[in-house]
Amino acid sequence: MSSYACLVVEDSPMMRQLIVFALSRIKNMTVTEADDGIVGLKKLAQTNFDLIITDINMPIMDGLKLVRKIRSDERHKDVPVIVITTEGSREDRERAMALGASAYITKPIQAPQVIETVKELLKI
Amino acid sequence: MSAKRKAAVQEAPVDLRHQREEFVRSFLHKSAELTEELIRDNQSMEEQLLQLREENDELRSQLASSDVTRELLAIIDRLEAEQKQLLQRSSELTLYEQRQADTERELNDLASLYVASFQLNSSLSVGRVVKHMGELMEQLVGAQSFVLYLVTVDGKRGIPVSAQGRLPAPLAPIVLEDGPLADASLTGIARIHDPAAPRAPGEPIAVLPLQFGSQVVAMFAVYELLPHKCAWAKVDRELFKLLSVHGATALIAANLYAKEAGPRAALHDVLIQLEAERHKQLLAAESDSGGEL
Repeated sequence: MSSYACLVVEDSPMMRQLIVFALSRIKNMTVTEADDGIVGLKKLAQTNFDLIITDINMPIMDGLKLVRKIRSDERHKDVPVIVITTEGSREDRERAMALGASAYITKPIQAPQVIETVKELLKI
Repeated sequence: MSAKRKAAVQEAPVDLRHQREEFVRSFLHKSAELTEELIRDNQSMEEQLLQLREENDELRSQLASSDVTRELLAIIDRLEAEQKQLLQRSSELTLYEQRQADTERELNDLASLYVASFQLNSSLSVGRVVKHMGELMEQLVGAQSFVLYLVTVDGKRGIPVSAQGRLPAPLAPIVLEDGPLADASLTGIARIHDPAAPRAPGEPIAVLPLQFGSQVVAMFAVYELLPHKCAWAKVDRELFKLLSVHGATALIAANLYAKEAGPRAALHDVLIQLEAERHKQLLAAESDSGGEL
């Protein structure tokens, strides 16, 4: 059975915990957490991930910059990226998708929505 | 013919011969008619036989077709039974899916409550506790604009300590004399309105008192929800209850802890406190029993 590694980049511990909880319900899923884009990039340099979930609004390096960096890196350019946005921030969402994000999830986070999107992208 | 007889014939009168010939002719004629009649009868019988055969064939085919009908009816019965079973299974599946969706939602709600409780109690920094409460409002409840007021010691004013989103008025201390905030601070009862229902300008959709014991120590006033959130969810009310109690204790604990020189220092007099509480309980019991203990 395949195993999957996911990187969650989110500055809010509450949101991070909710996403990790949702991901823990997918079999053979290991999750690595990062609380901003810089830490996320460091984790990406150390490990290969099957999936990346990132918030857009983060203080040090935002999700849009992170998506751009991921897509410009040969190692990770094909890794599916899910961005987390608020319903009102349509512009951010469109920019993220234009930069190469694979899907988006809107807040407030619902575990079934996270699970469904992840499964769809990982084809499981 | 004997010669005697031949002679007799030759000798018979002409009339008699004529009669005999007539008789033979008539006999032959009748025979011919009879034969024709027989032939006609035969033909008619053949026709009848043919007709009967045809009728027989028709009846046979009808019989065969009624066999097919019977078979078809049996198939229809079987299919109807199968359809009934499938419908039953489909309805069971729908019920199962509904149950699964309910379980998923409840699990999600429990996860939200767990995360909210975990995060509220995970820090003893006043700033983080306030941040976590704001996140809970924003991320879990789906509030877009809100203010957190601290209630002053005399309970007469509310001091804004945190706010988010577009507010109906500039952020400033409020006097708790009248209105929903004053009511909530006085009664400790949350006021939660239907987001779709009309309300007075500047009136919050929800006022949530944070209380310890009977005292309201702080209050959340929610003015706007996220655009796609049209109604309160069942879990929102549970989150409000949790925030009401855990938010207040987390805030008090963080504020008290801020005066201490670290976690161990904060617990240095736990034994003394335990002893004092025991003593207090004993005094209360003595007073209840009229000094008989």
